[in-house]
Amino acid sequence: MGAESGGVAVSIRDLTKQYPGAPTPAVRNLSLDVAAGEVVALVGPSGCGKTTTLKMINRLIEPTSGTIQVLGRDQAELPVHELRRAIGYVIQQIGLFPHRTVAANVGVVPGLLGWPKARIAERVAELLALVGLPADAGSRYPSELSGGQQQRVGVARALAADPPILLMDEPYSAVDPLVRARLQDDLLALQAQVGKTIVIVTHDIDEAIKLGDRVAILAEGGVLAQYDTPDELLRAPADEFVAAFLGRERSLRRLGLRRVGEVRSEPAATVAVRATTAEALGAAEGMGARWVLVIDGDAEPVGLVAVADLRHHSRSGAAGRTVGEGLEPDRRPPVVDSTWPLREVLDAVLRSGSGGALVDDASPARCVITLDALAEALR
Amino acid sequence: MTAPAVAMLAVLAQANRRDTLVSWGWVSEHLDDVWSRTVEHVELTLVALAIGFTVSSALAALAVRHRRTFAPITWIGSILYTIPSVALFGMLIPVTGLGFWTAEIALVSYTILIFVRNIVAGIDGVPAAVVEAADAMGYTRWQRLRSVELPLALPTIVAGLRIAAVTVIGLVTVAAVVGNGGYGAFILDGLDRDFPTPIVLGAVLSVLLAATVDAGLAYAERALTPWARRRGGGR
Repeated sequence: MGAESGGVAVSIRDLTKQYPGAPTPAVRNLSLDVAAGEVVALVGPSGCGKTTTLKMINRLIEPTSGTIQVLGRDQAELPVHELRRAIGYVIQQIGLFPHRTVAANVGVVPGLLGWPKARIAERVAELLALVGLPADAGSRYPSELSGGQQQRVGVARALAADPPILLMDEPYSAVDPLVRARLQDDLLALQAQVGKTIVIVTHDIDEAIKLGDRVAILAEGGVLAQYDTPDELLRAPADEFVAAFLGRERSLRRLGLRRVGEVRSEPAATVAVRATTAEALGAAEGMGARWVLVIDGDAEPVGLVAVADLRHHSRSGAAGRTVGEGLEPDRRPPVVDSTWPLREVLDAVLRSGSGGALVDDASPARCVITLDALAEALR
Repeated sequence: MTAPAVAMLAVLAQANRRDTLVSWGWVSEHLDDVWSRTVEHVELTLVALAIGFTVSSALAALAVRHRRTFAPITWIGSILYTIPSVALFGMLIPVTGLGFWTAEIALVSYTILIFVRNIVAGIDGVPAAVVEAADAMGYTRWQRLRSVELPLALPTIVAGLRIAAVTVIGLVTVAAVVGNGGYGAFILDGLDRDFPTPIVLGAVLSVLLAATVDAGLAYAERALTPWARRRGGGR
């Protein structure tokens, strides 16, 4: 993902929507750029105008004032149906055509664009595979599919004519949490392949943080409160409203965004349980390590000891004691790999009662991530 | 619809045994008439339904597009619908005389309320999310109507067509008073001569035609909406 492909896909300038008879605008003077290839999540409480904003991009709702450029062109100049055929759209209620088969649903926009039948059929088969539906799903009617499958058909239909931009309006709020998590993961995997510019509306801050390269938080009355990367939002919320919306576990959420591979792990000296405190200290000081990993006869890690603690024992006259004797029972450090989110590492470390986790990678030196390192990652 | 037909047949059979109500001899001598009266009856019905449906489609389109017109349209439709048929024929004769179009004006006016209501209800019944999706896919207004709204409204529209068809078939029988043949001509003949056989014949044929058309349309609806029958499944 990311915005490497360059250029601005959607450029919103001074956008305002005032519904007739409403006391305040639904969206007020909103300006926001979405880079090509980027996933932007619009998030906020109900009444913040996020859906209204989304629907103004493909002109399902006409703005009161302001402009929207799509791929460098003012979208108000294009015939509205042409604009919409170039923008994929996925909604919460899915809105599949119940009287058409799944294949016909997916083939709608190519059909409107006048593609030959054979090419449409080919594209439909390709898309069903892309979103993870069995090939025979094409001949079924939407009512014969589960909710999660219907949502996949909705995504396939939106991608059918390969539009550069995809708009998604609370696409996963109607499915149960387990299916939702899978659909979110699938979307990220799909995005890694197709690299669309995606604007997704959600009321769920966790979903926004998980899916968005950048997140726009809208306050009530359609005012942009903050527009930033998830990490930056969580690190430095612009105001009280954003902080309250992000919730109290900001640091934990930030840890959820980073993975083991992205932080500094440090080498630890490896010693056997039978080694004396003096021997362990010697090994650690020999390689400049701050931690000693204690392993049993099967080379399984059984404990993690800080060098500072060993020095303390040594000074208090226990230099001859084995490190095994100094260990508290059942404090085996968890073993994690480089794909683990730091939040899960923290959880595992806290549960184990040891001071850190052992990183299982190919390198010969045993490296650990300690609680200190986790705190450092949040600086 | 079929219950009165069965009752009528029962009367017929009993009458036959006593040889008073129905003279089978007369019926068999007039089979040619049965055929030509059927053609007349069907013709009057089809023309009324076709014109009524066309006019109603235009009115329904107006009502869907400009919601304020819906109430006045149904109000006028209701008034037309509630005028007793014989009275309406009576009022039209001084204006349009006896004949085919006098009958049609009256028949068409009875279908308007039924058609308009069902077409509008059918289009209103299309889920909002489906309409929004159609717009967002880039359907023009006309493409949306033709490809999405009308197919989904079809069951409701056909339901209206069935009611209108049965209503018109019954009324065509009455329309014989303005001189157009149809099964009503048998009944008028029987009343004139105080001879029950053609009266019973006209009534029975009218009921049979209505039942047949109704069943045919029900079958056609099922054939045209395969998606409405396949439900459930999935995981």
